[in-house]
Amino acid sequence: MTYDIRPMETPSRTRPHLIQMPTVDKPEAAPLEQAQPKIAIKDLRFYYRTYEALKGINMTLHDKRVTAFIGPSGCGKSTLLRVLNRIYELYPDQRATGQVLVDGEDILDPRMDLNLLRARIGMVFQKPTPFPMSIYDNIAFGIRLYESLSPRQIDERVEEALKRSALWDEVKDKLRESGLSLSGGQQQRLCIARAVAVKPEILLLDEPASALDPISTQRVEELIADLKSDYCIVIVTHNMQQAARSSDYTAFMYLGQLIEFDQTEAIFTHPKERQTEDYITGRFG
Amino acid sequence: MAVASSALYHRRRAANFAILALSLLATAAGLIVLFLILWALLSKGVPALSSDLFTKPTPAPGNQGGLINAIYGSAMMTALATMLGTPVGILCGTFLAEFARGSRLAQLVRFVNDILLSAPSIVIGLFVYQVMVVRMGHFSAWAGTVALAIIVVPVVVRTTENMLILVPASLREAAVALGAPQWKVVVMVVYRAAIQGMLTGVMLAVARIAGESAPLLFTALNNQFWSTNMNAPMANLPVVIFQFALSPYADWQTLAWGGALLITLTILGLNILARFVASWSTFAK
Amino acid sequence: MTAGGLAPHMMRRQRLGDAVFRGATRGFALGVLLLLGAVLMALAVGAEPAFRKFGLHFLVSDAWNPVKENFGALPAIYGTVVTSLIAMVLAVPVGFGVAIFLTELCPPVLRRPIGVLIELLAAIPSIIYGIWGLFILAPMLQSTLQPFLIDTLGEVPGFGILFSGAPLGLGVLTAGIILAIMVLPFVASVTRDVFLTVPPMLRESAYGMGATTAEVVRAIVIPHSRIGIVGGVMLGLGRALGETMAVTFVIGNAHHISASLLAPGTTISATLANEFTEAVSDLYTSSLIALGLILFVITLVVLAGANYLLWRLAARDAV
Repeated sequence: MTYDIRPMETPSRTRPHLIQMPTVDKPEAAPLEQAQPKIAIKDLRFYYRTYEALKGINMTLHDKRVTAFIGPSGCGKSTLLRVLNRIYELYPDQRATGQVLVDGEDILDPRMDLNLLRARIGMVFQKPTPFPMSIYDNIAFGIRLYESLSPRQIDERVEEALKRSALWDEVKDKLRESGLSLSGGQQQRLCIARAVAVKPEILLLDEPASALDPISTQRVEELIADLKSDYCIVIVTHNMQQAARSSDYTAFMYLGQLIEFDQTEAIFTHPKERQTEDYITGRFG
Repeated sequence: MAVASSALYHRRRAANFAILALSLLATAAGLIVLFLILWALLSKGVPALSSDLFTKPTPAPGNQGGLINAIYGSAMMTALATMLGTPVGILCGTFLAEFARGSRLAQLVRFVNDILLSAPSIVIGLFVYQVMVVRMGHFSAWAGTVALAIIVVPVVVRTTENMLILVPASLREAAVALGAPQWKVVVMVVYRAAIQGMLTGVMLAVARIAGESAPLLFTALNNQFWSTNMNAPMANLPVVIFQFALSPYADWQTLAWGGALLITLTILGLNILARFVASWSTFAK
Repeated sequence: MTAGGLAPHMMRRQRLGDAVFRGATRGFALGVLLLLGAVLMALAVGAEPAFRKFGLHFLVSDAWNPVKENFGALPAIYGTVVTSLIAMVLAVPVGFGVAIFLTELCPPVLRRPIGVLIELLAAIPSIIYGIWGLFILAPMLQSTLQPFLIDTLGEVPGFGILFSGAPLGLGVLTAGIILAIMVLPFVASVTRDVFLTVPPMLRESAYGMGATTAEVVRAIVIPHSRIGIVGGVMLGLGRALGETMAVTFVIGNAHHISASLLAPGTTISATLANEFTEAVSDLYTSSLIALGLILFVITLVVLAGANYLLWRLAARDAV
């Protein structure tokens, strides 16, 4: 698949600049042509009982890039995200068919070990969910699941994760206090730290900033931009400006179908589909 | 206004006043009875309080004595029954809330559990008599313990299930998303989140068995002397009260009131403690 | 990458942990079911000799002669049913009254404390009620209520036979009153909880039409919570049927049925409490266990019905 990057200087009469691309200092990443595919989704369908919530999704997600899923409520973007770590398996009424290949391995295969899979994929939820334990234990919980490390090594990993999540300075003196004693924004960064502490390959973020105030939101977005250099990041967001700011690729979904998938700049400046354009300009949703 | 002066309106108001007055009377009656009981306990039980009460065993009629053997027996059997019944109750409640929620089996177990919760405790005593006392050939404190444990189980099952269901799904999902196996999700995250409620349930169960007499009547029986032998009949407060109160001896009757006061104070104390625990602010909200 | 370097023994341990945990929880859950069956079976086995000897005649015979080894369950069953009925007749209206007070009349700041106090009545164990009933309530009734009833209602032709005889203090009526006090907090709390499930909008629209509080309760609240109220009442009945110690202290322990409520009588649980450890012969013991089986079956039916209704209510409200 090749990417057609058209220059922005010539606004057409029928498709004027849809939004101004913000001039944000994005960290230096490898040019998009060098992006490696990480996850290949093939004809994915998802059912809640008999209701088909995802109708044949085909998509490729790239390593060390941020892909955003956008679309109106109920379009299936969260559902799609939750297929990627098969967390829907907790609910017997939900099932998926098709293929989702992570580095070539189909994770929908029933023989796939779910716990191992989820150890490779981190997830951060909309509402911060700190465990009822100390800040230290919150981070160490995931590490202890799969690695036998000495206490000193765990200390280092906890510090590393908290530094990576821009939380270290704020909590380094109160690691033994409960995770619930932090503010909402801090709790969410704690959850992000918890997810990166186990060194996953992929990070799934389900509207991670929607429950946060603007300042915390900004910090989370900066974090995502920083984390991008190490992980394949997929983020669901209903905030289009956020998608435009933070992501490299964007997928627009509507009523369970993937309407358009392209580089973010392309989606927001010259979308190919009418529906995409309507959504982005606020005509619906 | 015509309405305000009609006879019908006056009748309605009178009826309203009557019903509300009756409801006030009903509540007052209930409260008065409560105070009458507490007053009787205090006025008749306090004279029995002395150092002898806590140092000497139950006496023969006409002699000085105390209740130490009965206090020990009750404390011992209550504690052991709680230790025996609580894990059973917690695991069963966990099954209902975590593994089988909503299933037909769970509904059936819950239904049966609620029946056992209100079943006559004397029947439980008969049951343990049949399966333990007859089998063993003699009464024993172990039989009494088992009978009390059978009463503890349904209480703990119900409170555990209710408390676990209150833990939000997002917390479980966050633990599962890290790759934790289900047992760790439950034991290390869900239990910790519900610990207050579960503790309250255990305390209420203890308060319930602290006063139970019927199940002990033909299991642990009674013992006039100081004994720590669990394999033989053991004195306990309820059965001693039963025997002493119905006797014609004044000093035995005084001891019965003393025992009654002790039991009531323990139960009220546990109830207050349970409410206190239930209202602990979870960490720093 | 971490998971790739995962030690296989850790994975095995995790899977084992899951299997053990699931197995244990499932096992104990099934255990609860088995417990009910085991109780029924153990009682049936113990009661078998008595039923073999007396057949179903046991249920209607009013004999109780340990010497001649002739036993009948009727006085005990009668006493159990009558005391429980008295208890319900007294506790239901009072419980309703308490629930109405707590939901409609009571100042909000007092609601919690008063509710807690009423619930404390439920926390007081049966034996305390027994000892209080014997030493305080019975003498009080003997000198006040009972003579009053004998002199007034006892004089009414026909109906008066319920209140004939000497005022003993102890007896079926006293037992019924004690049971009523014990059951009151259950009826009050279930009824209050059920009243609270009425949607505020329903209430408000009735008040908005100018209905008085009593009318709102009668026309809106009670019909809406009917199932729950019946369920709660049946739950209270189930408890009353099985109460032992309180009843044993005040019922007078006489194995016969008399028309007067003021006469002594017995209940199944009181008979068991008094006589089980004294039963010398196997048939005696078996007859007592048979009584226990009858009690268990009666309460089983009542409690199953009560829980079924309450479950229906919960299912309706969840929709």
